[in-house]
Amino acid sequence: MSNLSRRSVLRGSVALAAAGSLGRPYIANAAAKTVTAWWTQGFVPEEDAAIKKLVAEYEKQSGDTIALSIIPFGPLAQKVVSALTSGNVPDVISYDGADGTVVPQNAWVDKVVDLSDIVAKYKAQYSPTVDLAAQFYNNVTKKRGYYIAPYKTTCVPFHVWGNLVKEAGYDMSQAPKTWDAWWDFFKPMQAKLRDKGHRGLYSLGLQITSTGPADGNNLFYAFVLANGGKNFVTPDGRAHFDDAQVREAVIKSIEYTSKAYKDGYAPPGVLSWNDADDNNAFHAQAILMDFDGTISTEVAMFHDKKRYYEESMTFGLPLGNDGQAVPAQVGAIGCFMPKGAKNEAAGKQFISYICEPKVANEYLKNGLGRWLPAMPSVVKSDPFWLDPKDPHRPPYVTEGLLRPSIPGFQIFNPGIAVANAQQIWGQMQSDVIRNGVSPKDAAEKGFKEIETILQNYKIVQS
Amino acid sequence: MDGMQGVQTAPAIPQAAPAYAMPLRRRRLLRGGLQGSEYAWAVAFCIPYIAIFFTFVVYPVAFGLWMGHNPHLYVELWQDPIYRISIVNTIVYLAVGVNLKLFLALLLSGFFMRKRLWIKALLVIYVLPWAVPSLPTFMSIHWMLNAQWGLIDNFLWNFFHIDGPAFLDTSRWLALGSVIAAYIWKFMPFWTVILLAGRMAIPQELYESADVDGASGLYKFTHVTFPLLANLYLVCTLLSTIWTLGDFITVFFVSGGGPALTTNTLATLGIRDAYTVAQPDLGVAAVMTALPLLIPLVLILMRKLRTAEVQL
Repeated sequence: MSNLSRRSVLRGSVALAAAGSLGRPYIANAAAKTVTAWWTQGFVPEEDAAIKKLVAEYEKQSGDTIALSIIPFGPLAQKVVSALTSGNVPDVISYDGADGTVVPQNAWVDKVVDLSDIVAKYKAQYSPTVDLAAQFYNNVTKKRGYYIAPYKTTCVPFHVWGNLVKEAGYDMSQAPKTWDAWWDFFKPMQAKLRDKGHRGLYSLGLQITSTGPADGNNLFYAFVLANGGKNFVTPDGRAHFDDAQVREAVIKSIEYTSKAYKDGYAPPGVLSWNDADDNNAFHAQAILMDFDGTISTEVAMFHDKKRYYEESMTFGLPLGNDGQAVPAQVGAIGCFMPKGAKNEAAGKQFISYICEPKVANEYLKNGLGRWLPAMPSVVKSDPFWLDPKDPHRPPYVTEGLLRPSIPGFQIFNPGIAVANAQQIWGQMQSDVIRNGVSPKDAAEKGFKEIETILQNYKIVQS
Repeated sequence: MDGMQGVQTAPAIPQAAPAYAMPLRRRRLLRGGLQGSEYAWAVAFCIPYIAIFFTFVVYPVAFGLWMGHNPHLYVELWQDPIYRISIVNTIVYLAVGVNLKLFLALLLSGFFMRKRLWIKALLVIYVLPWAVPSLPTFMSIHWMLNAQWGLIDNFLWNFFHIDGPAFLDTSRWLALGSVIAAYIWKFMPFWTVILLAGRMAIPQELYESADVDGASGLYKFTHVTFPLLANLYLVCTLLSTIWTLGDFITVFFVSGGGPALTTNTLATLGIRDAYTVAQPDLGVAAVMTALPLLIPLVLILMRKLRTAEVQL
């Protein structure tokens, strides 16, 4: 104690700092084969068990270590945004909502790694829509690249309580084949079921929400597509709000959804529903039908055999109001890599492993088939996916991989991702419902707001 | 020991070298009278605190200011109608929520001054809402207010066969009112206890003198209690306003900012812009716009805390 002087304290501090900085590279080298991976938590335990199994097998084969964190959807979204903002990033992220907002916006500013080298290996096997949906525009390089390496995909099917439809005195085989008529089919069942004691039941899980993140946009764009507005934004990134057909499709969509709400066919709370609220309402039989991405609703009831096999039903899309097929909105869901990842090579190796058709297929099957393989050949060769004994997977697979489909519009222009994140169409529908704005004026306001956003996202080269 | 020796030898220096006396004195003054290894130890012990202060206070604040420094962000915010609604909501939330809560707390603190045993037992129960964790509390309130299957709706249906009101679903003001009610219910007990402590510090002799003069209860409140509690009440109001300005949990878990984003406050809007819209700089800018209100409040609070030392 008595020997300690200012100089000795300073000397000691300098020595400690030097030892720290010299020691660091050794530690970093020793950890070079540890890949940090953040994963979206599944809706059922089987999904989490499936990724843990995959990781264990990969670690055994490769000798690498995967530091896996399984995080719920909402918190992971916040964690990903924080990481990309601060620069303290993991090596690999598999966030199920990445293609909605995070990747379009971060590819634009060149903050994510181009994974074209991985995608190139499997490109021929991907569905053309998934292949297109994995490409995002980079405003620094002024070109599109693969910023997601897809190992799965999904679409938005209908979920129906078949037992309640029967109880109301109807049969799903009587359901009309065109869009508006399909929705209308369920409306009269509401009063009949309420008369039979289902107090508080609403016929339509119509998610006119401003909360999001995904369901309200999926619903709205499905209506737009069914009303002939497929050119809302084209793959070159240009919006076509001056196209009469697009304008009419948007107005008709706002008109139908807001009227159905005002007529009392949707729960009053849908205006603020988040992505889990419709699932909860469906499970509580508070809504007769729902329109929601993946078959998470059904998979969550997998262990209740009566509900899964006998009572709930899944349907693909009816035809559009013009009698033409409505393209399903399909996403490229998979891994992406933030720039600044410490173990890029090892991370890419891990991503490439997951994308292998056999590996991805086993993983998705172990997760009870909530997500679809990104490759049509897989569902055609493995009887699991089109098993006629399963009431949910075949219509889901057919809609997502075997019928016409398009990517979400935000893939073509990240400005749409911003507009979607702001829930502009949810707000416009709400304006009609709450403030008495006409659907036409609401549509005009929506177009104007999106055009303002798109001013910041001019695609130079496609 | 070294330090003590240093102190003993110090007076010799000015005599030996008078030309350096002033700088040395100044240096000593800057070092708080510490010398040699004493000073080194003091610095060594301070470094962790300074490092923590810089890491967890200075750096985050500076990073936030840096993120929100672009004027374009504020133009973008102002163009967003949800932001303008959120400002109004924040003002209403603060003005009604904080003042109603504190006024009710002031009244209730008088009730809890009574010395009956059942009132003391009631105080324990009354404090419970504040003691339980906020998150499950507000989530429970959210579900309770659900118009489709909530507790209130079911109660009204089962006993009166009528549907309950849509507290959170369509009306902005009903939803914001629900948020404010939940906020008051949750935080009023804390401030009641603070004001109760303030009342207990008032000398009983003052009330006894008032009694001798024949003062009524209301007269004693307006002429004895309130004047003596006024400073404490003001400090509580300022402090509560500052805390409530940054309150995210109440709004987020009771109304979720709905219906249709009409009940957001600056705190919830900041989180929405940062994470849901995935524009962290815009979220920081939204929160930064609360600074013109926050900084004067903090300054007034500091001034009042100085005077509070001599008054009750």
